[in-house]
Amino acid sequence: MRTRLAFVASGLAAFVVAASPAFAQKQGGTLRVSHRDNPPSASIHEEATVSVIQPFMAVFNNLVVFDPKEKINSPDKIVPDLAESWSWNPDQTKLTFKLRSGVKWHDGKPFTAKDVKCTWDALSGKADEKSDLIRKNPRKVWYNNLKEVTVGSDTEVTFTLNRPQPSFLSMLAAGYSPVYACHAQGRDMRSKPIGTGPFKVVDFKRNESIKLVRNPDYWKKGRPYLDAIDWKIVPNRSTRMLGFAAGEFDMTFDSDVTFPLLKDIKSQKPDAVCEGRPSNVNQNILINPEAPPFDKPEVRRAVAMSIDQKPFNDILFQGHALSGAAMLPPPAGVWGMPKEMLQTLPGFATDVEKSRAEARKIMEGLGYSKDKPLKVKVSTRNIAIYRDPAVILIDQLKNVYIEAELDPIDTTVWYTKIQRKDYQLGMNLTGLGVDDPDTNFYENFYSTSDRNYTSYKNPEIDKLIDQQSAEMDREKRKKIVWEIEKKLAEDGARPVIVHNVANTCWTPQMKGLVLQHNSIYNGWRFEDVWLDR
Amino acid sequence: MGAYLTRRFLLMMLTLFGMSILIFVMLRLVPGNVADILVDSAGIADPKEKAKIAAELGLDQPIFDQYLHWISGLSRGDLGFAYVSERPAIEEIGPRIPISAKLAGLALFFSVILGVPLGVISAVRQNTGLDYFLRILSLSGLSLPSFWLGLLILMASVQWFGMIPIYTNEPRSFIDEVLLLSIPAAAVGFRSSALIMRLTRSSMLEVLRQDYIRTARSKGASQTSVNYEHALRNALLPVVTIIGIEAAFLVGGLIVTETVFNIPGVARFLVEAILWRDYPIVQNLVMLIAFIVVVVNFLVDMAYMALDPRIKFAD
Amino acid sequence: MAIINHEAELARAGANVSSTRGQILFLARRYPLGAVGALIVLLFIFTAVFANFIAPMDPTTTNAKASLAKPGSVYWLGADFMGRDMFSRIVYGARISLAVGAGATLLGGVLGVAIGLMSGYLGGWFDLATQRVMDIMQSLPLLVMALVMAASLGPSLENTIIAIAIPLVPSVARVVRSSTLSLREQPFVEAARAVGMGEVRIAVRHVLPNTLAPLIVLATAQLGSAILTEASLSFLGLGIPEPYPSWGRMLSESAAEYVRTAPWLVIFPGVAISLTVFGTNLLGDALRDILDPRQRT
Repeated sequence: MRTRLAFVASGLAAFVVAASPAFAQKQGGTLRVSHRDNPPSASIHEEATVSVIQPFMAVFNNLVVFDPKEKINSPDKIVPDLAESWSWNPDQTKLTFKLRSGVKWHDGKPFTAKDVKCTWDALSGKADEKSDLIRKNPRKVWYNNLKEVTVGSDTEVTFTLNRPQPSFLSMLAAGYSPVYACHAQGRDMRSKPIGTGPFKVVDFKRNESIKLVRNPDYWKKGRPYLDAIDWKIVPNRSTRMLGFAAGEFDMTFDSDVTFPLLKDIKSQKPDAVCEGRPSNVNQNILINPEAPPFDKPEVRRAVAMSIDQKPFNDILFQGHALSGAAMLPPPAGVWGMPKEMLQTLPGFATDVEKSRAEARKIMEGLGYSKDKPLKVKVSTRNIAIYRDPAVILIDQLKNVYIEAELDPIDTTVWYTKIQRKDYQLGMNLTGLGVDDPDTNFYENFYSTSDRNYTSYKNPEIDKLIDQQSAEMDREKRKKIVWEIEKKLAEDGARPVIVHNVANTCWTPQMKGLVLQHNSIYNGWRFEDVWLDR
Repeated sequence: MGAYLTRRFLLMMLTLFGMSILIFVMLRLVPGNVADILVDSAGIADPKEKAKIAAELGLDQPIFDQYLHWISGLSRGDLGFAYVSERPAIEEIGPRIPISAKLAGLALFFSVILGVPLGVISAVRQNTGLDYFLRILSLSGLSLPSFWLGLLILMASVQWFGMIPIYTNEPRSFIDEVLLLSIPAAAVGFRSSALIMRLTRSSMLEVLRQDYIRTARSKGASQTSVNYEHALRNALLPVVTIIGIEAAFLVGGLIVTETVFNIPGVARFLVEAILWRDYPIVQNLVMLIAFIVVVVNFLVDMAYMALDPRIKFAD
Repeated sequence: MAIINHEAELARAGANVSSTRGQILFLARRYPLGAVGALIVLLFIFTAVFANFIAPMDPTTTNAKASLAKPGSVYWLGADFMGRDMFSRIVYGARISLAVGAGATLLGGVLGVAIGLMSGYLGGWFDLATQRVMDIMQSLPLLVMALVMAASLGPSLENTIIAIAIPLVPSVARVVRSSTLSLREQPFVEAARAVGMGEVRIAVRHVLPNTLAPLIVLATAQLGSAILTEASLSFLGLGIPEPYPSWGRMLSESAAEYVRTAPWLVIFPGVAISLTVFGTNLLGDALRDILDPRQRT
């Protein structure tokens, strides 16, 4: 009943707006958003999940940021944030930022270059032992090439790199790279952080809600438009969807609406604005190269060749997911290899039956057959988005004489178990904070990375990763990137099944949000968002 | 009597003490601790960082010291720090108690309002069609999982009212507020009412067979007055007991119902805390539940003693 | 003892007590609700045992084309998000429910009987200590206790059985203990002792059989609550893991997500749980009336 009333009212509002000549942003209002789970903490630098980024990015500023008005994050579309401008020295190893003056932290203390140094010293492990500003650091590898940060003056700071790294600026532009305050305590940053951003944290109630209010002293004049943002944590997806349909929320959690659910939302709330886009999260298979017989590359290849993407895509995404290798495929992805090249990789052939026959031959050569299958366990995190593809994977492995059983692992010990190499096959999801080869390759495939779950070690790949990272010419760099993607696929390093695509919906009254099409981890500053009511 | 009370009280303390050891040990048997989980949430498993966090939380100390630390704090009313939120556990648990208490109170109210009269009717009309119908109804109340009932209610309210009762601290209207708590309370209460109804029925039947009821009847008291004034009053004694037992039963119902209806009460919080291995929260919440159950049982015993002079307590 | 009374009643009613069939028919007429309960429970056990013959499909095979298929001639009760046949999953789910329900009741029963017998028979400090431990265990509601146990043990079929069985122990132990206490001093036990029978033999041969009636009543009630507890645990994500088709698990997560587009995902598993527990409750009530007249309602 109330919904219908609201509907009439919004119809009226639309009429008024259409009648008035200027289409001006309106100030005020509280944006209500549903949240899918309890963020482990509020400290963006310490976490690696969109559950933290999406609500808390609005509390902070970066030095630079991917242009929030652009759908595609690319190195060419980086705009100033706390830095007014930046410049490289001639040999591309010193990056100097001119900082904005007069910016204040939410507690009233002034922001200076020292805060920048504090943040990146902590991130590159140079903070003193006792500091708890950042007590865990999932993106340490991003800053392997960072030699030091030096403060020129209160408004000037310089990052010195060991060697040229064109991606460095992209990493600083990511939602994962906010500037922290020197004087902040780690405990506060994890529960009620302060930043320089457009919104202040009023309250973060675990498992219940996150409340942000407008920062009246925000350095960007006239922003933000909203008075407040209310996040309500609703762990049950059906309740979230019902809540959105019933008008309890103005926006769903990012990428929360799967394609089967989209149909339902559209029928219940026909005026909802929904946008489907790749989340830059891919489903991939972890193959433990230390667990025989997967120590043999040909067995790993056979696993990759047993994959038929179509059922995965059809069941989980109603055919909307994207097919790609390690990098997000174009056009949304800036770096992924072209389609023609992709089809030459194992697991991407158009004729699945042929490649399965080939895979069976490999397995037969090793003494396996229909009556004498290879028995393995497929480990996966015990949550639906991991379990669902694992169930399909097990179904498909039957085609190449692999009889698999699901081993659902409690979310709480998943990474520990993977790290210990206590698995044979794993179904995994990998999300990329930035659509950038450095972040992807260094995090997931470099021999010394903490997040190289398969302990994939290939000196040749390490060399190529370093080589592309230092390459200044974009086109030349892409060629190396594709070569790496190809080699990774051939080695069965982490066979990619599909790149996820999912929908985010909001009420038509919410305006000014631009979803980023190659990363769900960027674009959540909310300073340009306004409510038309 | 005084000696009995003392003994009963000491037993109660002993039970709670035993529970504190049991829960403490059981939690430490759980694979993976909060340090694993905190680190895992970042998608890494760096043993150095993990050890640092474990040390910060005091998880590297001997288990006996950890226990002593907790129990001595508890006796001073200090519940310790929640691991995940890094806030005092009391601040995390405290605000959630009234929510669950309101829900439980409402549920109890519903179950009594529904259970007692239906039980009486069922007993008075023993072996009629109505009795059979009510007995089947109460049995089905005991058989429906309350989370399923909750899901069905959610489905129905979206279908018919185009809205769902999602909990909020600031309900927009009175109707919203009533819907917010009474729908989930009804889902829990329906199940409990079945228990109450069954017990009311059986104790009513027993009383109706007693001599003094026959006497009252033979003296010409009307059937209704016999049923309601004489029999019910006497039958209520065991019903008081079951209402006491209900307190424990309700907690189980609250766990799933708070999950289904997304109510931020203590019961749902317990499940979350178990999943997060947040020991200070789990330990204290379990102790709270045990405390409630034990105290309610104690009070029920006392009520029994006060209401029924026939009961004597041997020391 | 209770059984003897009942036979007298049978004879009084003029039933053909010599044939089992006659007895069953008589009981069914006397306790129609109990008979319905027995039928439901039998159907449940039959479904669980012969699941592989009854289910038309494999409960774990996914099918992209059948995702969220409506109930119809192929998928009688529809299909879930992964395109798995709901009817087959519910049929196999009976197996899980029976395994957990019967497993937990049996395990809890065996432990409870052992503890109760020893406690009642030995008395003294052993009795005191076990009674206090039972007190402690009973100070938590069944689901809370099972929840903590399940989390401690990790999700698996065996662990779920244990997690549900342990909280069931105290009530069994209590019933057995109190019967044992009253039986210990009975003349026939004294007689056995006088003949020189060992204490263990007395306990097993003479005391235990006489506690059977209340035990059966209790076990039936516990079977129902074990099935419900398993469903609740799995619903909360702490019980039976995939790929086992547990009814409670089927109601959690994805089922509820498609509650509007595919209500059958929510309705049928819930009906299966409710019906089964309803059956055990009806049967339990009737058994109590038959076997334990002291508690008759």
